[in-house]
Amino acid sequence: MHAEKLQSFVLSSLDYGDSDRIVSLFTLEHGRIKAFARGARKSRKRFGPALEAFARIDVQARIKEGLSTLQQADIISIYPAIRADLERIAHALYACELVDVITPEGHPIPRLYRLLAAYLDRLETEAAVEGDRRFFEVNLLNILGYRPSLESCTRCDSPFMEGGAWLQEGGETVCRFCCAGGKQLSSATLKALSACLKTGIFGQIDFPAASMQQAGYLLDEAISAHSGRRLRSLEFLQQISG
Amino acid sequence: MLTKSSSLMRLVGELKKLPGVGERTALRLAFHLLKSPGNLTALSEALVDVKEKVRACSTCFAITENDPCAICSGNRDAAAVCVVENSQDLMSLERSNAWHGVYHVLEGAISPLSGIGPSSIRIAELLARVEAGGVSEVVIATNFTVEGEATALYLTKVLKPTGVKVTRLAHGIPLGSDIEFVDAATVQWALQGRNEL
Ligand SMILES: [Zn+2]
Ligand SMILES: [Zn+2]
Repeated sequence: MHAEKLQSFVLSSLDYGDSDRIVSLFTLEHGRIKAFARGARKSRKRFGPALEAFARIDVQARIKEGLSTLQQADIISIYPAIRADLERIAHALYACELVDVITPEGHPIPRLYRLLAAYLDRLETEAAVEGDRRFFEVNLLNILGYRPSLESCTRCDSPFMEGGAWLQEGGETVCRFCCAGGKQLSSATLKALSACLKTGIFGQIDFPAASMQQAGYLLDEAISAHSGRRLRSLEFLQQISG
Repeated sequence: MLTKSSSLMRLVGELKKLPGVGERTALRLAFHLLKSPGNLTALSEALVDVKEKVRACSTCFAITENDPCAICSGNRDAAAVCVVENSQDLMSLERSNAWHGVYHVLEGAISPLSGIGPSSIRIAELLARVEAGGVSEVVIATNFTVEGEATALYLTKVLKPTGVKVTRLAHGIPLGSDIEFVDAATVQWALQGRNEL
């Protein structure tokens, strides 16, 4: 079995024993994989700070289902500006955890790889803001096929009018005839979210304050429905952004 | 034949919980101990002693047998507090002989991916120590990992309003480093060249 060269982001890193580490990587070529890094804790020579969360690295790895083996890691960026700012760290870790829990193992998703790269590049140059986080989330859901319905009712298919939509459990959006309570999502919110999917560039869409909050309700619902567990980094993110 | 509940298998089970020890190593260690009853007695006594005598210092939370610990009750500059993640890091700094102040052991670092937030480690206790007065400088010596940096940034944020001088170890400690594994000379150099935050 030969080693493959992969482009990747470190999603998480777990100490294993005294000297080893198990890392979760999001690779361009194979999607999310788990890899064993022998000696990563003690010998700084081999891996250095390469195996820390949100680092962008090129790796040599022997790919195996379940647990691959990392032979070498070269740092492309550790994102020093993110590391120097508490809110940016919190947002970057949240993005990594989200990709970690919501993606299937071993399936390449190049569009999501590029989205994560774009988000981390954005955090490296700009302050962490909620609009960018929501932009990342709605695009992530879209790429994975979990896109919330922003144009028409998920139950009766009638288009959303000026009144907007009503949010149901699991991120379902319904019209006012099908709604059984729930939070209202204005048409401005729905439009801002679809614009996020159309532009594909961070920082282009302005959410009005009310829309930001509504988009948050929708995305939080949709994400928790698809991620299976509550994200650990979310509490810290809320704690320091509040 | 040994059953799962036999004392030997229980020992193997406990050994396996140690970092880096798998089934085979645990078995080897257990049989090794069994061969030398003297070692077995010494080990069991040491374990009981540790359990009964070792605790955290009520001031700095360093591992100690006497409370307050030797550093807190010794002839040190109590106005300068060096904040470390754990007692192993404290020992590394002590080995450098470059620090004459006291310590504060956080018993961990903020690690959002593991669900360890500011309230899970001894940050409130540090803040209380500073607010009680008598501390003029806090030197943050958390690891140079993402978790250590997050902890340092968070500490800076909550300590700044108290007016205390906050500095961070700087020079020469490579990114991604665990203080525990950094050599004494580098630690000395880093303590001298700390940066104000
Ligand atoms: Zn409907
Ligand atoms: Zn003490």
